[in-house]
Amino acid sequence: MEAHAPHAPPSFDAIMLPHMDAAYNLARWLLRDPHEAEDALQDACLRAYSSLDRFRGGDGRAWLLTIVRNTCYSRMRQRRREPATEAFEDEAHGSTHDPADANASAWREAKGEMLKEALERLPDEYREVVVLHEIEGLPYREIAVVAEIPIGTVMSRLARARRRLQAELLTLTGRAPS
Amino acid sequence: MNCSESRALLEADADGELDLIRHLELGAHLRSCPGCSRIAEAARARRDALREALPRFTAPPQLVERIRASLGAGQSRPARRASVIWPVWNAVGVAASLVLAVIGGYALGRAHARGDALLGEAVADHVRSLQASHLMDVASTDQHTVKPWFIGRLDFSPPVADLADAGFPLVGGRLEHLDGRGAAALVYKRRQHVINLFIWQAGGGAVAQRRGRQDGYSALTWSQGGLNYMAVSEIPGDELAQFVAGYRGRTE
Repeated sequence: MEAHAPHAPPSFDAIMLPHMDAAYNLARWLLRDPHEAEDALQDACLRAYSSLDRFRGGDGRAWLLTIVRNTCYSRMRQRRREPATEAFEDEAHGSTHDPADANASAWREAKGEMLKEALERLPDEYREVVVLHEIEGLPYREIAVVAEIPIGTVMSRLARARRRLQAELLTLTGRAPS
Repeated sequence: MNCSESRALLEADADGELDLIRHLELGAHLRSCPGCSRIAEAARARRDALREALPRFTAPPQLVERIRASLGAGQSRPARRASVIWPVWNAVGVAASLVLAVIGGYALGRAHARGDALLGEAVADHVRSLQASHLMDVASTDQHTVKPWFIGRLDFSPPVADLADAGFPLVGGRLEHLDGRGAAALVYKRRQHVINLFIWQAGGGAVAQRRGRQDGYSALTWSQGGLNYMAVSEIPGDELAQFVAGYRGRTE
């Protein structure tokens, strides 16, 4: 084992820099605008850096993404001038299962642009779990940390998000019964 | 396993979140149940479509530089890894490695302690390779360029295979130092993510075959023909296992 040096100064380069793309990608998908995403990333990094002394070690990625996510949500709230009160209600956005709708061919035939548009149409809370899981490859455990929800909620939210995504996709391809 | 149990686990399995035992049980059920396997097929098709089609936006380099400059962090690059006690193997990793270690007959405790230290070292090398614009000493997608490059730089010849057709293109290689000796790092890509495959001589002892995770990175180690191998990446563990299976299929 190497010597344990608890007072070594944590640095941007070692803890945050490796996760800049992940952080930007999340901000870009949440805010759906490159300039807003750049501003949000800058804000978030500033916040993260000033609270580095509270970083407990471990997962730098989840820690940074949590801060990026919170920064994006407060920007979205400002943009909509909405009070930050209501919690997202998963149940209000559709059920988790409908075995009849498993549709491999719809996914195989989907064009990239269409998938992107379908994802952009999802509510923020659904879009973010899809982005974190499918694009960033985060495990459930890490998504739970970033989105500040229990692992069980990660699973049900992903399930609902996917169902909704498939519904959007079918609408875009004109295959939905509507 | 019956259908209702199977359907509750299908998504988690496609997401690489099931432990080994349940993964195998589910696999057995799917082979005998067309209904469930149709749903599993749709989950796989969805995952592949999303992973292929959705762009991963990358941070503009000027923005990163601007942020870095604004934080005044330009010069400092302390060795962070000595100061953090990482939460090492997760439960799944331990369970899987237990099974594998028993099968392989490895001395468990010793192998694990060494494995943990190695994992920390390899992940630190991986992170450094991403941040220091020192990903590659030799940049080439041609295995016949990458392999000879190591001659004279290492006292062994690392097996090099291109896996572009399996979705893991070779992009280059570089020299590393691991386990107290010179190591080859082969650099592969998976979509926009980097996979570092470290290869070094097993003179200090063969590593156990195991999966691990640290700081959000997946790792897989194995030993073959007097060489130790460790693949490290931020892609999910099941995808990394796919990469390793592909690599071993071409080189062994």
